[in-house]
Parts: sequence; structure tokens; C-alpha cells
Amino acid sequence: MVSPAIALAFVPLLLTLIIKYRYYFVLFYRAVLVRIWKDCVTGLSREERAFQYVLTNSTPGDPDSILDAFDYWCTNVEFISNIGPKKGKILDRLLLEQSPLTVLELGAHCGYSTVRIARVLPLGARLYSIEMDQGNAAIAEKIIRLAGFDDDTVELIVNPSDEVIPRLRSDYNLERLDFVFMDHWKKCYQPDLQLLEEYGLLGKGSMIVADNVLFPGAPKFLRYLRKCGLYEWKIHRATLEYSKGIRDGMAELIYQGIK
Amino acid sequence: DIELDFAGDENFQENHEREKHKGKRRNDDRQKNKRENQRRKRSSKSVQGIREESQSKTERRGRGRRRRGKAEHETSEHEGNEEKRDQIRAKTTKSKKNIKNEKTRKLEGKEDGEAQERSERGKLKLVCAKNEEKIESGDQLKEKEKALGVKKKKKKKRKKVVETSSEPESSEEGDDEEEVNDDGEVRPELLSPEELEKLKEALDEKKKLIQSLRGKPWPMKQKLVTLRESQLFVEKYEGALGQGKGRKLYAYKKWMKFQRDFENFKAACIPWEMKIKEIESHFGSSVASYFIFLRWMYGINMILFGLTFGLVMVPEIYFMLTILLFTFLEQALMGRPYGSIPRKTVPRAEEAGAMDFAVLWDFGGYAQYSVLFYGYYNNQRAIGWFKFRMPLSYFLVGVGTVAYSYMVVIRTMARNANESGIGDDNSFNFSWKMFTSWDYLIGNPETADNKFASITTSFKEAILEEQESQKDDNIHLTRFLRVLANFLVLCCLAGSGYLIYFVVRRSQKFALDGLENHTWWERNEVNMVMSLLGMFCPMLFDVISTLENYHPRVALQWQLGRIFALFLGNLYTFIIALMDAINLKRKEEKVVKYNITMWEASLYNGTGSENSTAPPITIHPADVPRGPCWETMVGQEFVRLIISDTMTTYITLLIGDFLRAVLVRFLNHCWCWDLEAGFPSYSEFDVSGNVLGLIFNQGMIWMGAFYAPCLPALNLLRLHVSMYLQCWAVMCCNVPQERVFKASGSNNFYMAMLLVILFLSTLPAIYTIVTIPPSFDCGPFSGKNRMFDVIQETLESDFPTWFSKVFSYASNPGLVLPFILLMVLAIYYLQSTSKSYKEANVELKNKIQMQNEENKKKNKQAALKAQMDLEEARKSASQRNNDASVQRREEDEKIYNKNQRMYHGRNPSPSVGDREPHFPVRGPAPRNCHNGNHGNPRYLPGFHQQSEPRMYRVPSVAFLGFK
Repeated sequence: MVSPAIALAFVPLLLTLIIKYRYYFVLFYRAVLVRIWKDCVTGLSREERAFQYVLTNSTPGDPDSILDAFDYWCTNVEFISNIGPKKGKILDRLLLEQSPLTVLELGAHCGYSTVRIARVLPLGARLYSIEMDQGNAAIAEKIIRLAGFDDDTVELIVNPSDEVIPRLRSDYNLERLDFVFMDHWKKCYQPDLQLLEEYGLLGKGSMIVADNVLFPGAPKFLRYLRKCGLYEWKIHRATLEYSKGIRDGMAELIYQGIK
Repeated sequence: DIELDFAGDENFQENHEREKHKGKRRNDDRQKNKRENQRRKRSSKSVQGIREESQSKTERRGRGRRRRGKAEHETSEHEGNEEKRDQIRAKTTKSKKNIKNEKTRKLEGKEDGEAQERSERGKLKLVCAKNEEKIESGDQLKEKEKALGVKKKKKKKRKKVVETSSEPESSEEGDDEEEVNDDGEVRPELLSPEELEKLKEALDEKKKLIQSLRGKPWPMKQKLVTLRESQLFVEKYEGALGQGKGRKLYAYKKWMKFQRDFENFKAACIPWEMKIKEIESHFGSSVASYFIFLRWMYGINMILFGLTFGLVMVPEIYFMLTILLFTFLEQALMGRPYGSIPRKTVPRAEEAGAMDFAVLWDFGGYAQYSVLFYGYYNNQRAIGWFKFRMPLSYFLVGVGTVAYSYMVVIRTMARNANESGIGDDNSFNFSWKMFTSWDYLIGNPETADNKFASITTSFKEAILEEQESQKDDNIHLTRFLRVLANFLVLCCLAGSGYLIYFVVRRSQKFALDGLENHTWWERNEVNMVMSLLGMFCPMLFDVISTLENYHPRVALQWQLGRIFALFLGNLYTFIIALMDAINLKRKEEKVVKYNITMWEASLYNGTGSENSTAPPITIHPADVPRGPCWETMVGQEFVRLIISDTMTTYITLLIGDFLRAVLVRFLNHCWCWDLEAGFPSYSEFDVSGNVLGLIFNQGMIWMGAFYAPCLPALNLLRLHVSMYLQCWAVMCCNVPQERVFKASGSNNFYMAMLLVILFLSTLPAIYTIVTIPPSFDCGPFSGKNRMFDVIQETLESDFPTWFSKVFSYASNPGLVLPFILLMVLAIYYLQSTSKSYKEANVELKNKIQMQNEENKKKNKQAALKAQMDLEEARKSASQRNNDASVQRREEDEKIYNKNQRMYHGRNPSPSVGDREPHFPVRGPAPRNCHNGNHGNPRYLPGFHQQSEPRMYRVPSVAFLGFK
């Protein structure tokens, strides 16, 4: 029988763990517990709830108000792992500097990042957005149309990325991608990047931006970057979207080609 | 490649031309011989190759004569030098061989001299021609470089020739010749005086070359090659040639080299040096400072162990030496063996379980009645033939360990204080950061990345701090947070103190009930709780300290202070509990003493009534009733504490670091987030906690060593194991700290803590020694009123009476008090002088700073003046420029020549001429540009083209000029 005094001696450890990892606990609560609870109560999926909120609280045709509504919902109501306002600003800056004409987005989720990218694209640019999940894609489609982007600007492709990328050249007549934004499954970052290289879709100077490379993290992707030497790359350090204490990073790669 | 150096050495060449040619001729002679003999095809081929080359050169000779001025001159000189070198080499190979027929050879040389000279000249010209042909269209600098390249090739070939030529001959000549070739050794006594002279001159030239190499406008690679070659040359011949001063110098150099090697050897002998260096390279110096501290502790404990083992334990040990059959030593030195007297025997009641592991683990049973603890030692005044004073030795060793520790700690502190000097880190914050933040001991790319990141963040922080200090709006929040953090820490300390107090009270209750009725957990509650609190509270402090937002170095000190307070509180609670236990034991002792007298009396009475003349009944020592012996109890407590502390440290290491690392490493493949970069990650090395653990461990050793002589040995073992274990754990399971920082000056901080702990830990020990009378039936001081009575006893019985008299006079308060007064005065005096020195230092520093500022001002003024001059000159130049551009070109050329002279000639630092204000502008920096312009025939000196670079270069040049 362990005596109570010894058990009490573990209190500092418990306190330490709670204080040190409080952001993770909060994240767990918001992203998992609240989600399950709401799913049971409303009978709708998380994305549908978010769409309902955005529909009622934003101005149609105004991308910024849609983004604001999303940010508000994700900060105060529930958690959806969009790119978020802070990292979104970095993304905006990169897009404005680069002003790409063909953009590929892997993982549209519910259309937040698609709207974010589409609103800063130059005239005549085209964004191909790939989403694997049917339900999410439907919502993303609605959001994109709500923001006022037509088929000419944004094309949503509902398929897994590893199936779409090999067909991009043949089906969509793409020669070269100027900008690629990755925000889908973290484990697919590295294989998809290699697919892009393999099918020659990257030219010298093409920029690839990958979100969430530190948390949840894509270690294989980073290791590959270090090793292959095809890219000039850096990590923009920031915090996880809608959370203050969890550190995250966004990798910015510029394809250099084989030297 | 030494031609540039000899730009002005024409005299030298002229003087030694003949000799050179003679040497050359010898070479050629040999080649001829060889060719005739056709011994080796390789060598002859190479020679033929050279001949053919020269022929082809003669064909192209005419073409190459376009520009032949200085360049040719220099190249020819260079050629000459080379030859000289070759010749020297040849000579060294020949020196031995020549000893017999040197004179005849010389005669031959004179005969053939003229013809050879002619051929040599022809060759030189050839070379020049070739050089120039190659560089027809290039500018002059490139020309030279190419020439160098050509010459290098040439030289290599020549070397080959010489080598190959010497080979067959050496085989002819015999073994000693080969030896000379291989070793390159020269025996000065075998050389003729003029050869010696030449060699000396060559040596001087080499030295000059080495000195002036830095200023040469060569590519780095070439410089390195040249340097290496010349150094080799100098090293080779210096010793051989040196006579008088040179010889001395050579010896001195050798001595220096030996010293350096010896230093290296000494460094290699330092234990764990490589390990620590490796850790330092991976984790930065703050982690390494912990290991250095650990090593230092190990050294101290080694000496403590030597003292106790050599002077206390060995004389008392008997059984060990019976095994070794040193009967003489036994008789001479040893005390009584185990089982001879009651205090050295396990009592009958405990005998059954005395060898159980559980009992031994608690240091009961046989471990308790052994040399490890105080109670085992006998109070016999002198043992063995040598009359070894055991009790006295025990006492003196106890005092000596503490005294030695004080001495070492204070000496180290003083040395560190000297090293650190007086540095004020506040005045040049940014420049300090700029120039000193890199840790040059880092050898790992990951750590270097971390360091890089931490430097950038520190810069950002410093800039922010500077801004904030000017803004001064957020200071209240920071202050509030700091106060809050301290409050939380205090709460935590109070809580842990209360918990320990509670546990100690409970354990006393258990002790009164009898320990057998309680579980192992309850019996070891105090140690467990203390270890756990000591482990977890620092973590909590660490988390709390993130509130405060200090610089990591400051944060480390705060952290150290807090953990110090925690440990001290724990330790003193423990000691107070021990004191209570001692009092209990002493009460018990009184009862036992009374019982024993009764028992003895009854024994005596029983025997006495039957037969008074019968021998006294022998009782087995195990049956004799004992006192409780509080000293052994104290020793046991300390040993248990140390053991549990060590165990917790190792278990934490294994679970917290190793297991975590294993999980993170191998679960990362199948986890939904990145374990390595994100949430649990690998652990960082906790410097502050480990250092304090070490310090407090040492404190416990100092406290308990008097009652348990085994403690230094145990500690030595612990330190040894933890050195290896922690080194391994750090390298295998920890990641470098995110903010790697330099551990500057924190070493003395550790030392100060150690000193405080030493003082605090000697206090209770001294208190118990002075106030509590020793147990009546165990330990070296049994039967005495106080432990220190042993000194008085020794003085009275072992020293002559006059000595004890002197001692009693000396210990008279009338003498002691003035002495103490004197000491205090001396300390005060020294303190005040050192303070005044410090002030003087600060003043001097200020002075230097002022001077620097003044110099800066002066330089600025001078630079401004130079700029003005320049502008004037430019104006006048622009006026002139309109009339004659050709004239300007000439001027350029002139300037170029000047530059060249300046660079290739003797004067290294050009003075800024007032008459030619644009000269310094064109001086050092833009040489390339000028050369390019000069070589280009289409060049038209437009004013606009030149104005830009000029503008840029003004400040730097002016600065150079005035520096």
C-alpha cells in the first residue's frame, strides 16, 4: 500500500505537466471532445456547422468577410485546422510577391485556404484545388461560390492527390505550376512532392508552401528537403492556427532544379 | 613562386650566379653520365623531354618578344632562385659523396663553368619567352600568375629530374647515400664553408618569405603551398646549419615543441577529457560545465576517500589482509578483527537475518557491524607494533576532510575570480553580442543551427529590450509576473516543507511503534518523499520561471537559487528529525547502561558466590547487551539517503530520458503527429537540477562522513557511474537546448553554492561532535566525555610535557583573542586594498575608452579632410581632363607602376601624400580594375566611369591611411 504522502509528492509533477502542456490539453478539448459532443447533439458534421455559420454571418461575394467569419468561428466556437489568419498573412505576402498564374492547392478542406489564395491571385490566374473527401468538397464548392469565384478562377478536383497529380498534365493541360500549397495529409507531403518532381510540373523558381510542418509535423518531408538539395527552403516559424502556445511552421520551398 | 620577394635582390643574384651555375652544372653532369650509361630509362626520358621542350621553345622564341621589361627581369630572378633551391637539394644529396673528391670537382666546375653559363642563360631566355607568349593578350597581373603556374610546372619537372638522377647514383654509391636522401639530414661539418654560407642565405630568404607572405597578392592556395614548403625547408636545415645563436634558437624551438607535445600529452591524460569535449561540441559549454564540475568533484572525493581509507579503514580492517598473508603487517598495524569484541559482532538477536538482502540493503546486519560505520571502531589508544593512534587518526581525518574541502573550494573560487576579472557586460551590449556570442566549441550541425537561431533571437530580444527600456510601458506587467512567480515558488517551497515535516513526524510515530509492523513503503517514506520532491519541484519551478521572462543565464541562476532553497529546506528538516532521533537513542542508552551494570553485577555475583578463584566466565561477544549507538544510526541514515538519492537519479534518467527517447523515436512512425518536433519531444539536459543534485549530494557526504567512513567511497562509486551514465544519456537521449548559451562565470556561482553548502553541512556535524557525548560502548571515542578529548589525551601522554605546556599557553584566550583580532585586521586591510585596486582598474578602463573615442574623432576628422582634398583634386582633374586624355592615361600608368612598386617592393604601408591626393584612393583597393583598364587598348579614360568607385573607396582608404 502506497502511503498518501508519497502520492502527494507527485502533485508537483502533475502540476508541471498540466502547466507545460496546457495548450495541448486545450487543443484536445476543442478539437476532439467538443467536436464529438456537437456531432452527437446536432447530427451534422463539423464542416457543415461551420458552413452554416459562415452562410449566416458573412457577406456573399466578399472573400474577406467569409474569412473573418471562419476565423471567428474557429477561434470561439469550434476548431478546424485551417491555415488561420497569422500564417495566412505570410501566405498572402508570398503570393503577392510571386504573383503566380497557375496555382495548385492540395487539400481544400472546407475552402478557407482556397478563398484565401484566390483573392490575392493576379488577373487571369487559375487555381486548381484538390480535395479527397466528397462531403468536404461539396462544402468547399459552396464556400468558393459564395465568395464569388467562378469556374475559370478556381477549379475544384475531387480525388486523392496521388491520383490527380499524374493526370494534371494530360487532363488539365498544365505545363508548369508556379505555386503549390500543401495542406492535406501530412504523410502525403513527401510522396506528393516527389510526384510533382517526377511529372515535371515544377520549373525553376516554382514555389511550394507546406503548412503544419512542425505540428502535427511532417518529419519525412523535412528530412527529404534537407537531403535532396533541389530546393532553396526555409521555415516560417509561427504558432498553430487559433492557438497561442503550440509552435508550428510553414515551409517555403523554391524549386532550383538539378544543379 | 618566390620571385616577388626578390624584386630588389639583384645583388644577391649576381654574387651567387657562378656558384649556382656550378651546382647546375653538376646536375647536368650527372644527367649526362646517366644518359650515357642508360641505366634507367625513366630518368633519361625525362631529361630528353626537357631538351625537346627547350628546342620547341627556341622555335617559338621570336613570337614571344613583345613586351619585355620588368616582368622578364623578375621571372629570370625567380628562375635563379629555383635553381638555387635545386642546387641545394643536389648538394645535400651529394654532400657525403663529395667529401673525398670535392676539390677535384670544383676544379672541373671552373673549367666547364663558362660553357654551362651560356647554356643556362639561353634556357632562362627560353623560359621568359614562353611565359610571354602565353600571356600575350592578358593583363599584367594575370600574366604574372600564369608565369608562376608555368614555373611551377617547370619546377616540378626539375625536381623529378633531380630525384631520378640521384637515384641511380645513390645506388652506386652505397647505403649511406640513400640514408641521406631519405632523411634529408645534413651534417654541417661535412659542408664546405661557402656552401654553408649559401644555405644560410637561402634559409634567411625563406624566413623572410614566411614573414612577408601575408602581404602577397597571391591566391590562398598558393600561399599555403609556399608557406608549407618554406617551413619544411627551414625546419630541415635550420638545425643543421645553426651554430652559435642559430643553434641556440634551434634548441629553443625543439624545446618549445617538446613542451607543446608534453602539453598535449597532459591533456590526453586528463580523465574523460574527450568525452566532455564531445559533449561540449554537441550541447554547448553550459552542459559541459556540469560535467567538468562533476569531474572536479570526483577528484575531491578521490582525495577524501584516500584519507579515510588509508588512515581509518585500512588499519581497522583485519580480514582483508589475512587473506593476503601479510602477517607482519597484521601484527604491525592492525586493530582487532571482526567478532573479537562486542562492538565488532552482530548481536545474537539479529544474527538470524543479518545476511538477508533486505537487511543489508538497509545497511543493517553485517553491514552495520563492519568497518563502514562509526560503531565498529575500537577505542584502544594505539594498535599494533607501530602504535597507530586509531582514535586520534579518526578524529583528525574527520577534521582534515572538511578542512581540505574548504581549502580547495576557496582556492578554486579565488582562481576563478582572477580569471574572470572585472567585466562589465552592460556597456557594449550589442557589440558583445556581435563578436562574442558564437560558441566556437560547437561541432555539430544541429547545435550550430540552434545556436544560430538563438543568436538571432537574442538579437531580436535585445533590440526589443532596448526599445522597451526606452518606452517603459510594459515594466509593470513584467514586475507583477516576477512577483507572482516568486510567490508561487514560495508556496511550493512551503508545501514541500510541510510535507516533509509531516512525513518525518509520521516516521517518528512509526519508530515508536516499531518498524516491523509497517510496510516497506511506510518505512522508507521520508527518503522517498524527499527524493521525489527534490525531483519534481525543480520541474515546477522551471515551468513557473517561464513567467518571468529572464535571460536564460539569469534564469538559470534564479532556478539554482530556488532549488537550493528547496534542497536546503529538505535537508534541514531531515537533520532536525535526526536530532530528535538522536535524543531518543540517548534516552534509550541511559536505560541500557543501567541494565548492563545490573547484568554485570548479577553475573559477577553469580560467579563470585560459587567460586571466587575460578576464571571469569567467557561470554560470547554476540551475547553481550549493547547500547543503541546513535552515531551508527546517523551514519546509516545518511548512507540510506545517499543510496535512495542515487537510485532516484538513475531511475529518473532511465525513465525520463531513455524511455521517453525510445518511445519518441520508435512510435514516431505510427503516430498521428510528429513526436520528435512537437509534443513530448526529447528531453533537454537539466543543468541546474543536476548541478544542485551534485552539490547537495556532496553536502550530505561532508555531513555524514564522520559517522560513516564509507561515504566517500560510496560517493566515488556514484560519481564514477554517473559520469559514464550521464555522458551516455546526454549523447543518446537528449537534444541540445533550444537556447544554447555560454556558461560564463557560472562556475564560480556553483563554487559559491558549494561553499555555502559546505558551511551548512559542517555546522550540524560540528554541533553533534561538540555537544553530544559519544556512546559508551561503540566507536573510537567510547568512554570519553566528548569526542575532541582525544586531542588532549594525546597531548598529555604522547608529547613531551613542554609541548603540552606550550599548547596550553597557546590555547589561552589571552593569546587567542589578540591573534583573532590581528587576523580580522589583516582581512580588513586586504579587502580595502583590493577594493582600491578594483577602482583603479575601472578608472583605467574608462580612460582607455575615452582615448578610443578621441581617436575615433580624430580619424573621422582626418577622413573628412581627405575627402575634401580628394574633391578638390577631382575638380582640378576634371578641368584638366577636358584638354588631354592621353596625358591622363600616362598618369594612370605611372600610378599603376607606383602601386606595383608599393606592393612588390619593400615599403608595406604607404603614407598619404599631400601632393597627390588621389594616390591613396587608388592605392590598395582598386588594383584589379586598373590593371584591367591598362591592358585594354580600347580603354578611354572617361571621368564618369571612374567617379563612382572613387566615391566608395574614400572612407576606407582614408581610414587605412590614418590608422
